[in-house]
Amino acid sequence: MNTVKVATITILVALSISTNYALVSLSNVKLMDFITFIGGFLFGPLVGAFVGVLSWSIYGVLNPYGFVPQIWVATMFSEAIYGMAGGFLHKANINFNGKSLRHMIFLGNMGFLLTLTYDLLTNIAYAQVLGQNILVAMIIGAPFTLTHEISNTLLFGTCFIPLISAIQVMGVGNVTNLGK
Amino acid sequence: MLRILENKWALTCLTILCWSIVATFSTGYFYYQYNDLLKRTEGNPIHVDIGLNYGNGTVRWYNNTKATMGMTLFNVTLLVAKVNYTMYPGMGAFVNSIGNIENSYPFYWMWWVWASYSGWIEGPIACDKYVVTNGETLYWYYENTTISPLPQPS
Repeated sequence: MNTVKVATITILVALSISTNYALVSLSNVKLMDFITFIGGFLFGPLVGAFVGVLSWSIYGVLNPYGFVPQIWVATMFSEAIYGMAGGFLHKANINFNGKSLRHMIFLGNMGFLLTLTYDLLTNIAYAQVLGQNILVAMIIGAPFTLTHEISNTLLFGTCFIPLISAIQVMGVGNVTNLGK
Repeated sequence: MLRILENKWALTCLTILCWSIVATFSTGYFYYQYNDLLKRTEGNPIHVDIGLNYGNGTVRWYNNTKATMGMTLFNVTLLVAKVNYTMYPGMGAFVNSIGNIENSYPFYWMWWVWASYSGWIEGPIACDKYVVTNGETLYWYYENTTISPLPQPS
């Protein structure tokens, strides 16, 4: 692992934690998921998962909404999904050169489905801890879940391609195949 | 390259899937909220106006009938008249007679509700499924059901 890679991973983790604190007043609108996804896309599924786990391991302990160990563990490992998905997306070798609407829709949908999976897993953990019915927990939490999913859909759909293009110019990570 | 990106219909289906999930969650949430609100307000006193048209020129109005939140039209009708009915599981109550006036083809007891924006609306569901609200005007009309559209209360 070279120094540029280590520095980039550190910056990504720092960014995801700091943006989470910065956006604390906007409930469930977070950049962390997107940054973890980018980490996975740049350095592969394992590093992506590591970025997610590390970010949540720090943010979760100093969580402004409170600390519950079981929920913390669930969110920490669920966050890894974004990083792994980002890594697998890179392995799919898609050409993201240019602003294709099709790519944006695909990425938006991907963001939505990943967030849905994350929310399902964390809601199951939440319901188990509080002894609630899982379906009721999902329904009561629907406004928060939907805010999370819609914000991530927009973020993944609109920001991924410009950001990856910028990173490609900077020469960070393994994104040299983008313009094929 | 992922195949889904080559097929616009697959991408459209994926988008519709995401949209349907959003719609399902929203519906579930509002349904839960509605039931919760209904449960919380159940038992609060309300007043409804209920009219009975016996089809022979007799029309009786029971204005300001005291009821409670959560009551159905069926419950309210039982407060003002003698009702004979048959319960059909899964469908609801079918009114056979009100007072001494029994259903006899082609005359049946039909119910209507007054809406300020569109006038009389024919009851869309069984009377025991319709939850009445405060200040509502409801009407039982013994009428010829072979006439289409059904004659509205006048």
